[in-house]
Amino acid sequence: ESHTQYERVGADVTMKCGSMDWDAAVTWTVNGTDIDESHLNGSYLILKNVDLMQSGQYSCYEGSSWHLKYQTYLRVGTPPKEPVLMCRSNNYPKGFYCSWHLPTPTFIPNSFNISVIHGTKEMVCEKDAVPKNRCHIRYLQLFSTVKYKVTLTVTNALGKNFTTLTFDEFAIVKPDPPESVVAKPVPNNPRRLEVSWQNPSSWPDPESFPLKFFLRYRPLILDQWQHVELSDGTSHTITDAYAGKEYIIQVAAKDNDIGTWSDWSVAVHATPWTEEPKHLTTEAQITETTSASTSSFMAPPTTKICDKGAMVGSGAVAVCWTAGLVVAAYSVLFI
Amino acid sequence: GDSWGIFTFLCAALCNLPALPALNCSEELGTSQSIQQTYDLTRYLEHQLRTLAGTYLNYLGPPFNEPDFNPPRLARAERVPSATVDLDLWRGLTDNARLAANYRAYSRLLCYLRVLDGQVGTAELRHRLAHFCASLQGLVLSIGGVMSSLGYPLPAGPPAPPGAPPASNDFLKKMDDFWLLKELQTWLWRSAKDFNRLKKKVPPAVVTLRLEARGF
Repeated sequence: ESHTQYERVGADVTMKCGSMDWDAAVTWTVNGTDIDESHLNGSYLILKNVDLMQSGQYSCYEGSSWHLKYQTYLRVGTPPKEPVLMCRSNNYPKGFYCSWHLPTPTFIPNSFNISVIHGTKEMVCEKDAVPKNRCHIRYLQLFSTVKYKVTLTVTNALGKNFTTLTFDEFAIVKPDPPESVVAKPVPNNPRRLEVSWQNPSSWPDPESFPLKFFLRYRPLILDQWQHVELSDGTSHTITDAYAGKEYIIQVAAKDNDIGTWSDWSVAVHATPWTEEPKHLTTEAQITETTSASTSSFMAPPTTKICDKGAMVGSGAVAVCWTAGLVVAAYSVLFI
Repeated sequence: GDSWGIFTFLCAALCNLPALPALNCSEELGTSQSIQQTYDLTRYLEHQLRTLAGTYLNYLGPPFNEPDFNPPRLARAERVPSATVDLDLWRGLTDNARLAANYRAYSRLLCYLRVLDGQVGTAELRHRLAHFCASLQGLVLSIGGVMSSLGYPLPAGPPAPPGAPPASNDFLKKMDDFWLLKELQTWLWRSAKDFNRLKKKVPPAVVTLRLEARGF
């Protein structure tokens, strides 16, 4: 008959050839390959300080007849470390979910058991089909003063471990990020960008449990974000964008009163509206002084006015300070 | 015995709140405005309570000031009105019932807090508690104002005296205080949601009603 055997990494393993005597003549194989006699002590197979690579199917054959006397599948692994558990309510007030994982793999099968206790009541956390290490619970009562205590136990053939989380109903509320974030330029407004988004679809009741939002934006060429907090509405117009610069914009959501901010939404890019560039002739330059002075940066020339060190930003939007100053100076002259 | 009688008297005396806010007030209040103001008040109080509770729990000492302190709810603690409610029930509350539940709860909580105020040790705590009680009184009046402007009768009379006798030992007394603060905190979180719902249901157009002074 066939067995499975679990052993810890680093352990010494002795395998007996079934009911064969110690002094019987046997041959051991691992995954079909003969094992050298030096590993044998009589008919016993000795594996010292086993490692993961030594997992496999071990078979023992009687010397002359080549009868299969014993077979075992050796699986080398580790007992579980303390699991990582997280619980979150992204669908308040419906309920919450908990998800978990092991910080390091054990290399052998593990089973998880989760228990949720609310005061004196034990609640059932229904396991999700997908993703696997996740379960969800429905709130039976709202606005509870009693904490929830979630205990996750992980067990495998080599040991067990557990972790516990205790929290208030309100503390774990964290919505999913806003969806369908769209940013558009506003015609004839070189410093505006119109941003709109939607409530996350997982948030079941935005009427009674309204969300507030946090918008952040910056031009690609700068590292510093601008922030706007919005207590209602799912749109906002940025009015201080730098003309002609591409922006990156993100939005986050939070229940108006409780819990924590969601992760940032997917980033969207947008550039404010710009006027059609006019063809530059000498006459046009003179008549164009007013518009030239309002847009203070121009495309970097490749002449030696500019050295690497004086460049601001990177890539397509690199701007040369010296060139900018030169242009600005000319513009001032022509006013 | 004696202490029970004194306690009841104290509570009744301190809880003799007028049933009607702002007597003889003939101001016109937009109902949706006063709902918004009440909502804002609950948020302000919730913020204030965080500081107050921190100070008070430190005064009570361990284990009450430990962040993961999670004691079982003793039967005696039930006298403090609980914000906990079945989800569908909460959703289905009429505006009147919703407001009345808040009014009753804060009236009772205010009462208990005032008793606490009289017993507390340090001057700093007394000062904070007094300030908080004043704000909480404002909230009760504000809720009363909303109810009146919507034409709802205010819940009857001063709150009933507490059902259970006062704590027999120091530790149980501290437990009572702990749960009082917890319930207060939970009520403030719940009220924010209650008033959110009311905001949506009252028409956004300003409804102005004259407050009438009524005897009770």
